[in-house]
Amino acid sequence: MIRLLSLLLLVVAPAAFAATAEDHYQSARKALTARNYPVALDAFEAALNMEPDNIRYASEYRQAVIGAAQYDRCIAFFEKLVAVHPMASSAFLNFGFAYVDKIPAAGSITQVILANTALTYFSKSIEIKPSWIALYTRGNSYLYWPKIFGRASLGVSDLEKAYQMQKMDRVKRSYHVRVYISLGDGYWKTDDIDKARAIWQEGLAQFPDNEQLKARLAREGDALAEYIDSVLDPNKRVDTNLQEIWTNL
Amino acid sequence: MKTFSLMAVGIGLAGVGLATLAAPNGERWFEDITQKADLSAPHTNRSFKNPYAHIMAGYTALGASVAVGDYDGDGYEDLFVTDSKEDGKNRLYRNNGNLTFTDVAAQAGVADGNDAQNASADALWFDADNDGMLDLLVVRFGHNQLFRNIGKGRFKNVTASSGLTRYANAIAAVAFDHDKDGDTDLFIGSYFQPVNIFQPETPRFFPESFETANNGGGVTVFRNDGNFKFTDITQQTGIDLKGWTLDLGHADADNDGDEDLYVAADFGTDRFFVNDGKGVFTDHTETAIGIDTKKGMNVEWQDYDNDGLFDIYVTNITDDYMREGNFLWHNNGDLTFTDISRETGTHNTGWGWCGKFFDYDNDGWLDLYVMNGWVSGNEQSYVPDIFEMIVRPGIDFADARNWPPMGAKSLSGYQKKRLFHNERGQMFKDEAARHGLDSMRDGRGIGVADFDHDGRLDLFVTNANAAPFFYRNLLPLDHHWASFILEGKISNRLAVGTRLLITAGDRTYHRYVNGGNGFASQSSYRVHIGLATHPTIDRLEVIWPTGTRQTFENLTADRIYRLVEGSAHPVPFVVKEEKK
Repeated sequence: MIRLLSLLLLVVAPAAFAATAEDHYQSARKALTARNYPVALDAFEAALNMEPDNIRYASEYRQAVIGAAQYDRCIAFFEKLVAVHPMASSAFLNFGFAYVDKIPAAGSITQVILANTALTYFSKSIEIKPSWIALYTRGNSYLYWPKIFGRASLGVSDLEKAYQMQKMDRVKRSYHVRVYISLGDGYWKTDDIDKARAIWQEGLAQFPDNEQLKARLAREGDALAEYIDSVLDPNKRVDTNLQEIWTNL
Repeated sequence: MKTFSLMAVGIGLAGVGLATLAAPNGERWFEDITQKADLSAPHTNRSFKNPYAHIMAGYTALGASVAVGDYDGDGYEDLFVTDSKEDGKNRLYRNNGNLTFTDVAAQAGVADGNDAQNASADALWFDADNDGMLDLLVVRFGHNQLFRNIGKGRFKNVTASSGLTRYANAIAAVAFDHDKDGDTDLFIGSYFQPVNIFQPETPRFFPESFETANNGGGVTVFRNDGNFKFTDITQQTGIDLKGWTLDLGHADADNDGDEDLYVAADFGTDRFFVNDGKGVFTDHTETAIGIDTKKGMNVEWQDYDNDGLFDIYVTNITDDYMREGNFLWHNNGDLTFTDISRETGTHNTGWGWCGKFFDYDNDGWLDLYVMNGWVSGNEQSYVPDIFEMIVRPGIDFADARNWPPMGAKSLSGYQKKRLFHNERGQMFKDEAARHGLDSMRDGRGIGVADFDHDGRLDLFVTNANAAPFFYRNLLPLDHHWASFILEGKISNRLAVGTRLLITAGDRTYHRYVNGGNGFASQSSYRVHIGLATHPTIDRLEVIWPTGTRQTFENLTADRIYRLVEGSAHPVPFVVKEEKK
């Protein structure tokens, strides 16, 4: 009887004590607090391997990668992850973000290559699931391209779709303000200043404390151009932390 | 009267100044007198005749250069200006002394700088044999030319016996005494690797990367052995570079009495080398400036903030599609530098080329003039074409066949030149439009000198595939100035590397004699100093390359002085012949 019990325990115990994705995630956070990046990254990756579409794990993983400047590791990880999970739209989105995260650390030509590659994976994410976040992300990314490439209109198209989506949403979410800002920037970049100001105004009515909208509306002409150019400067790190998304779902 | 004294120059100038104050130019202090000066012959880019010619055309809009120097010793600064087309003649403009020039290149024997196998890219006056007469190096894609000044306005081509015969796609040269043996050595920067770009045997001669290319021409160091003989000592100097060099600049970065070196590279990392005092250099790039991936075009050293340390200005590419930004490397005094271009407003000058510090208003603060613009073609942009190539997976950039032809399209063209006024070493304010210096031609080099001895620095500007500009400085004469012609006796004759500490009032200025810094250009060997409202230099300390120090006191301003190493007194400057 004792022997049988022991055998049962041997069989059951590994299952009972196997770490969950959440366990790995918590380990990662703990390691991050201790600034132990190697352990944190390993743990985040373990969590994502179990839940490849978890936007929170992926976002926090990428923020840790930025802290550790391990951009290539992150890209390589997501490359494998999406190969194993080809329908994980969020994984593709974060794969794209992994390229965006590397941009400020790259030279000007590599920046273009990274940005272009990011767009490929944002598109794949939209193809799998045309979510608000994916449309907003790709639309906003297009705006960083210089006018000469004519990509701002593509950005406007994505952002208009995201705008329609959030209008259908019965809940006003804090991150919706991003579309008002970016869509206005898109209109501005496509030389439709009236529409730009209108959407910024509409956004400000919805989010009256938003400083970015106020800053745009307070400027005109060259001052506005200088401001938007500064915002869309590829040498500045784009905030790709998606915390606002999951905390306002 | 065959000669006239410095005093006469000063008196003559007072009249000019009064006339200027009443001139209709108002606040505009520069006048374009290119036509009047007879300096309007245009530069033409080289066209190639090989299977890659249509591609190369987009990347070889180079070779419009100028070198300033008094080759005939008459006291007036002359100009050597390069062309690049196959049958294009280089020009030696003799200064007639009245702000007109005469091209005497053919008579002098220096006109033939271009042919089917060679294209002129830059030029450098230097005194190879310390005889007091300027010799000439014509820097070429192909084989460089060395001309010995044999006096009476004539030159002899001594290249064949000089040791400078090796093929190189050279684009920049500076001459300074790196080993302190009393003569100036040659540092030559090359762009393409040493393949014959006129008839390339392989298509793989383009940059292998846009950011870390290591298949360019690098830098070659030639020691001056005297008697117009030079020996390649690159290996011994510790300089081992294979980048796409566009410019070189030297200065004593740490005021330790020897010349250090900055190398600007296209498609990759600029390099900073520290001299050990014996002519051996150590690469301090990582600690001094860090590793960059930009497109370095220009090296200019000067003490822009009058803190006693030489700073560096490097241009890169800044445009809508590529926001590299320039470098204004502030010298921290410990062989490290901090880029403060953003903070000072000198960050964005478009597709930059030569940038030169000079004090155009004689206020004692060095201002900055910057060339820019790559190719001003038609209304279509080449940017999408090039980026289509860049994002192609697995592309071999080194293969010229992969690069899209530019045709008649534009790439960073029609850019306005920038004239930055130095706001007391803190900021720079663009005054180009105000002074009529905001041309949109594709600018390359800048030669700065006081061509008419009026105490105001004038500008000669070269443009690729276009006519140059000659700008006369018409600053109202309410600021004082002084100018120094230095002559080494134990040190090299042109006194390259000599530092001057000039005290007027409560300010001390640190200046030096450089051996040809700045992309596609060489300015005067003379040291000009703006003194603002001070009519006297209280103290002048001269530190010769030998380490010898000389001090002079109470020098009257608004004069040109000749300083001879070891001589107790400055010698008044005298022109040989009145040319009016």
